[in-house]
Amino acid sequence: MLRIERIQLLWVFIQAALVAAWCFTDMETGPGAGVSTQSNGDRFKIEGRAIVPGIKTQDWVSTARILVEGEEYVGFVRTDGSFAVNDVPSGSYVVEVVTPNYRFEPVRVDITSKGKMRARLVNYIKTSEVIRQPYPLQIRANGPHSYFMKRETWGWTDFLMNPMVMMMVLPLLIIVLLPKVVNTNDPEMRKEMEQSMNMLNPNPELPDVSELMTKLFSGSKGSSKAGGSSKGTRPAAKRR
Amino acid sequence: MNLSNLYGAAPLSHKTKNKPVNFRLPPCLEEQAKAAAAMAKLILLCLKCIILYSTVEAVFEDQVGKFDWRQQYVGKVRFSHFDTHLQSSKKVLLATENNVFAALNSRTGELLWRHVDKTGPEGNIDALLQHGQDAVLVVGNGRLLRSWETNVGGLNWEVVLDSGSFQSACLVGQQDTVKHVAVLKKSVISLHYLSNGHQKWIENLPESETVDYQGVYSGGNGEVYALGVVPHSHIAVVGYSLEDGEIIKQISAEAPWLSNIQASCVMISQGMLTCVDSATVSLYMLDLHVQSQMTQIPLQSLGFEVAPGFQPVLVSTQPNPARQPLSEFFLQLGPEHYLLLQLNNGQIVTLRDLKPAMLVSFATTGEKTVAAVMSPKNKTASTVNLYSAESGRRLLDTTLIFTMDPNGGKPEKLYVQAFLKKDDSVGYRVMVQTEDQTLTFIQQPGRVMWTREEALSDVVTMEMVDLPLTGTQAELEGEFGKKADGLMSMVLKRLSSQLILLQAWIAHLWKLFYDARKPRSQVKNDVTIENLSRDEFNLQKMMVMVTASGKLFGIDSKTGSILWRHYLDNVPSNAAFKLMVQRTTAHFPHPPQCTLLIKDKDTGLATLHVFNPIFGKKSHVTPPALPHPILQSLMLPLMDQDYAKVLLLVDDQYKVSAFPSTKNVLQQLQELASSIFFYLVDSSQGRLSGYRLRTDLSTELIWEVVIPTEVQTIISVKGKRPNEHVHSQGRVMGDRSVLYKYLNPNLLAVVTESTDLHQERSFVGILLIDGVTGRIIHEAVQRKARGPVHVVHSENWVVYEYWSTKSRRNEFSVIELYEGMELYNSTVFSSLDRPHAPQVLQQSYIFPSSISTLEATLTEKGITSRHLLIGLPSGGILSLPKMFLDPRRPEIVSEQSREENLIPYAPELLIRTEWFINYNQTVSRVRGIYTAPSGLESTCLVVAYGLDIYQTRVYPSKQFDVLKDDYDYMLISSVLFALFFATMISKRLAEVKLLNRAWR
Repeated sequence: MLRIERIQLLWVFIQAALVAAWCFTDMETGPGAGVSTQSNGDRFKIEGRAIVPGIKTQDWVSTARILVEGEEYVGFVRTDGSFAVNDVPSGSYVVEVVTPNYRFEPVRVDITSKGKMRARLVNYIKTSEVIRQPYPLQIRANGPHSYFMKRETWGWTDFLMNPMVMMMVLPLLIIVLLPKVVNTNDPEMRKEMEQSMNMLNPNPELPDVSELMTKLFSGSKGSSKAGGSSKGTRPAAKRR
Repeated sequence: MNLSNLYGAAPLSHKTKNKPVNFRLPPCLEEQAKAAAAMAKLILLCLKCIILYSTVEAVFEDQVGKFDWRQQYVGKVRFSHFDTHLQSSKKVLLATENNVFAALNSRTGELLWRHVDKTGPEGNIDALLQHGQDAVLVVGNGRLLRSWETNVGGLNWEVVLDSGSFQSACLVGQQDTVKHVAVLKKSVISLHYLSNGHQKWIENLPESETVDYQGVYSGGNGEVYALGVVPHSHIAVVGYSLEDGEIIKQISAEAPWLSNIQASCVMISQGMLTCVDSATVSLYMLDLHVQSQMTQIPLQSLGFEVAPGFQPVLVSTQPNPARQPLSEFFLQLGPEHYLLLQLNNGQIVTLRDLKPAMLVSFATTGEKTVAAVMSPKNKTASTVNLYSAESGRRLLDTTLIFTMDPNGGKPEKLYVQAFLKKDDSVGYRVMVQTEDQTLTFIQQPGRVMWTREEALSDVVTMEMVDLPLTGTQAELEGEFGKKADGLMSMVLKRLSSQLILLQAWIAHLWKLFYDARKPRSQVKNDVTIENLSRDEFNLQKMMVMVTASGKLFGIDSKTGSILWRHYLDNVPSNAAFKLMVQRTTAHFPHPPQCTLLIKDKDTGLATLHVFNPIFGKKSHVTPPALPHPILQSLMLPLMDQDYAKVLLLVDDQYKVSAFPSTKNVLQQLQELASSIFFYLVDSSQGRLSGYRLRTDLSTELIWEVVIPTEVQTIISVKGKRPNEHVHSQGRVMGDRSVLYKYLNPNLLAVVTESTDLHQERSFVGILLIDGVTGRIIHEAVQRKARGPVHVVHSENWVVYEYWSTKSRRNEFSVIELYEGMELYNSTVFSSLDRPHAPQVLQQSYIFPSSISTLEATLTEKGITSRHLLIGLPSGGILSLPKMFLDPRRPEIVSEQSREENLIPYAPELLIRTEWFINYNQTVSRVRGIYTAPSGLESTCLVVAYGLDIYQTRVYPSKQFDVLKDDYDYMLISSVLFALFFATMISKRLAEVKLLNRAWR
């Protein structure tokens, strides 16, 4: 166990080294990582616009906030939907528009120490991947938040399409309807059916179905129908 | 004997070295390397997860508001303005010390909108100016100037001001129109347009190194004055032209007595700077238009006398910034003595001598300005009266009575909303702010329209206490509690209690029937303290909340109504609180008892407040006086003869005192002393030390762990919750063997952070230490990581969250401890006898958001699966199933892992909005989440508190022990009836058939 762990550890080491090297080669695409404020005190402004299609801005701006890297920097939305977050030092930040009712995708904004801005898609797994987004930011809501689960509504179709019910109803239909379609008084036909039944069910230990069939065909339709239906629906009711 | 939360022995002294432990962190790193392959795998995993996701519980739309509620707060009010530009306006603007700017509906007290800025000095609101529909705020020590549209609640504009510490701001008007705002800083004055925030001009203040500019004033005549003072030397006033910022005039006047303009000076009438000085007991006046010396008017010459030791205060008003201030002003001569004065042709005239008067305030409506004066009436009430500002006459029929809450604080501020009635007389409403941060809005003649307990915006700690049983329930309990005294009497007792129950039931039925006839709106189950009682499943509890201001609240968890409040007025401002339940409601007839430990953070001196959590009343039990600073407090599971749990307090002499300290308790303590252990944390010296109690209530040091403070500092130490139950001792593996959990109740999780904050070298460390022996069970270091670290420690796992500086993302890590396939001693756990080190499993995940707080759900018996409740900065509270944070999640799915229902490893945890237990009821700045078990095993009560308070219930494994609330009674009964009739009919049919056959 221990040895395996150690080997795994080594493996992680190697991979970490590999990844580290890979990250370093990728470094020039992004500005200095981290939010450490070693810059010369220059502060920048992240600008953009949030859009909720089909909704007037005054209906949602009062509940909206712009969060930069959690709550590290906070901005507010103007009455026309545009926003600016002031006093942000250079670094790389995830900018989110937060409203209780609408969903906005977060965007990563990189600010170089000279104040150059770039926006890209947030990818937490491949953190240095760059898929450019427009800057100044254009953040469009992709619909309202879905907070709620749908209740399982009870409908007749659900009930009928339930496999258990199907399994019960279909044989019932066959039992009730088949004798009407096929002339059971014809002895040849009866013989044929019996034969096919025996073919289907060669196991002598299970004669129930054929027995039932013969019983059925011999006339007592009413009672078996009632019995069948009551038997059929009871388990269904129990399951609900 | 093992006492939860206390610990056992071995004189050990460890020094932790930072061993570079490189455990299996992110397989996400591997993911990076083999991204392409991983993506495919990821999609596969996601597909698999979806099946699992769908089983996870969420809120249904029809459950909204059924068992959850939210209360929104703004914090202690710093500035408040009534929206007066429209006569019919129902808005009051509030800027608070919690960096919140909000508008309330003045009729109901509800929030219209609210904007929550950053915490700390960067979001601090320095000034609030109101003009028409716009409100201008100076934020962050003069860093930002913001204008808000108050109708919509949207931002008009925001501009960054030059650096420099903020002094003052005012609106500047000319010819009855206000178009500018002037901002005075330490060394510059700038003028901005109100319409767009653009800067009109900015000027350096002359001699700003020596002169301390403190105020800015404009009388509406096209001039802006910066008022400065050289302390104990002279006043320097600089006048600027509104048009181009040119210096029009500079005035310098001797004022050796003056040090602070804002505290002792006001502007009245036509540019008359008026100051009051307590040392010379005089008023000083300086006319800014006529350059001259300051004229001194001794108060004695006016016939006034200042209360000894009191610093007199001036209050003036400038109703319209485009006009000059009124010539009437207040002079406060004592704590309850005000004078309404008027400057008339250079002469000071007394309009009214107001004594006693607690608070005064000016209010203007239309052209009329009135002065509202609050004066004490009796112990529990005070009256507010209106006086005409011009004449000082008392206006008729303007008395308003403010009833003071005996459990509240004294009135502190008075905000007056004046309006013109139809007959052109002045009507008014007042908003009173009291010391305990309560806002009360009152209408004449004393009708309270609403109250807001803004202290609740800063809840520090809370507990949930079971409600007492009703009289009948208590009766039944009493029957079982008492000793048997003969068969006959037992039978009689049983019969009588059954009778009582029957009676109660009939009464209940009658009430139901009676209520059903009334229209629905009238039927309101008002919860009061009198009719409080425990419900069937103990879902309704009393929430005891302690706020930073020292006000305690008792809130009904079902409705959120405040049932009692109690203001402790001697709480130091930097107090730390610890709330403990010493006796629950289970021990009828002994009243329940809570103890609040209030500790001054600087001195360490503490006081105890003992109270009844159901009624909020102070208990008759006198708490012990604590002359020494308190280092640690602990609740023992021991009880005295009155069923109160014993509270141990450790002072800085390492002496232990017990509360209650009856003979019975001391005897018990002596017996158990050898098994009572406790630990102390000194984060400044990086020292963790374990102590044992001796029989004479002194202590001995038994272990010590020193974490070198040069390298890392202790951030937090987390033990397990004492009321936590773990149902299953192990986990059944895929091959039917059992992996036993390492359930050490004495385990502490110690989180450290590196002092070196460089992103390449910073790290977060976690130590698992046995609190009894000091044995380090496990140590892990998270490299290239920094805080804030949030930790949850429960059962056999520790979950923590940190910020990865390398990848710039938040990561979760979970550590689980297992004993292995065999349990060493399955009957009892002892820290002193546990020879085998536990197996440690760890796994890390990416979390796509920063978090504010972290807590785990808690249920009565611990059968229900656990969820993590994560407070997000967006205000959502995410309920994340613990099974996503399971270090046994496999990277490669095998038959066994599928058998165990393990979710395949995916580096990123998802945030699904369906998992938000508070749907769109966001909780701003959530600071803590409190979880409590209910009487139902499936249900956990959750309270999230921050700026807002949100209460709800969660069902981590769905409601397995009660019928769902959408249970279809109609369907089941109709099916039953249908079946019944079907059998009846078929029976009849069969009979007929048989009869027919018999006849054949």
